[in-house]
Amino acid sequence: MSTRLTQALEFANYRVTLNNQQAVLRAKTQSLLSYSINGGTFTIDRTLLNFCKLLLEEQQTEAVLLDIYNNPIKIEVKSFYDEVLSRYFEVTNDYYAEYEKLRKSRKVHKVLDLNEEGK
Amino acid sequence: MKKANNGRGIIMFAHNNAEIDYFRLAVVNSFLIQRHLGIKNITVVTDSASLDYAEKSLGKATIDSAINNIIVVEKDKKFKEQNIRTFKDTSHTAKTLSFYNVNRCDAYDLSPYEETILLDVDYLILSNTLNQCWGHNEELMMNWRYQDIMYERKDPTLNRLNDFGITMYWATVVYFRKTPYAESFFNCVKHVKNNKQYYQDMYKWKGHLYRNDYSFSIAAHIMSGFQDRGIPQLPTTLYKTFDTDDVHSAIDDSTMIMYLEKPRSPGDFMLTKWSGVDLHVMNKWAINRISEDMLSHAKRT
Repeated sequence: MSTRLTQALEFANYRVTLNNQQAVLRAKTQSLLSYSINGGTFTIDRTLLNFCKLLLEEQQTEAVLLDIYNNPIKIEVKSFYDEVLSRYFEVTNDYYAEYEKLRKSRKVHKVLDLNEEGK
Repeated sequence: MKKANNGRGIIMFAHNNAEIDYFRLAVVNSFLIQRHLGIKNITVVTDSASLDYAEKSLGKATIDSAINNIIVVEKDKKFKEQNIRTFKDTSHTAKTLSFYNVNRCDAYDLSPYEETILLDVDYLILSNTLNQCWGHNEELMMNWRYQDIMYERKDPTLNRLNDFGITMYWATVVYFRKTPYAESFFNCVKHVKNNKQYYQDMYKWKGHLYRNDYSFSIAAHIMSGFQDRGIPQLPTTLYKTFDTDDVHSAIDDSTMIMYLEKPRSPGDFMLTKWSGVDLHVMNKWAINRISEDMLSHAKRT
């Protein structure tokens, strides 16, 4: 096999690994952006954060939010907002750091954080 | 048999067959559960032969520090001989072995806890996500949505019992509380199991194998008033690999490097690093191969 073809196949293998690793990273982020309280579960996203911020601006102390099951869950707005906001930044900052590390990795073993011997 | 206290706990079933040491997998997972979920209430339902083998291979002290409640039951020998399936250790090795899964429907009766998470021993706990279940408004939850960690790979046969049938739920992880509804659900699973031929004719799943995924799906359909997807999902996605995949290594107590089989090139693999999210690893031999490493990572303080 010519060197050029070998290099092309190696690069294809790297791209497949990189794409899957990025999808795995997204899955991890998605999984961490979930928060359960008072018997309900919420996905932490910008909509939830904005709505909580609005409730705070409207000086609401308690509110009923619909969770991912569309069940009504009563929450204490300030503490809920603080918690979801802090989790959001914690998770997205980690996501950013890991994403940047992946983006700069140009070999399969670097994508996986292994040395060249695969250890 | 020691009796665990009530409250919240995990239950797993571990019956070895001629090749696969399910009890060892249960011990590994128990240490991971203690580490990531912070739960000591762990019940494992097993048989005397599996327990005896584990005591010889792992030692009683290791078992005791992993599991605080072991329930020994008699095996149904007829079922064991009849329920045979092909287990793969990647596409390169396939073996036909007994698949002893008859008593998962007894989880409700056997669980000493008010709130229980029923787990497959090969569903490795690598995060604290399942702690979101405790105290939930929903009294019974399990997943129908799943995600293969090799994102290119799609297997539509895993979505429904047959092409035009009901949605398939995964009995891999089930959360339930001790309520009349959950009790009726498990009674319904037992009823389906005891009348397998009738329900197979009605729901038309393929093959002769009894799978808990089928009986739990049918019970979910019945208990939802014959509506599809009537039982709510867990607040976490079920991530899985297949028995054609392999594990390269366990880096630490929440990170593994996996070999994933390429969809258009069977027997050929790509590597993926999986970290901090629970994972259903279908290749049991692969978990057993890394079990020593996983045990030492999980036991480390």
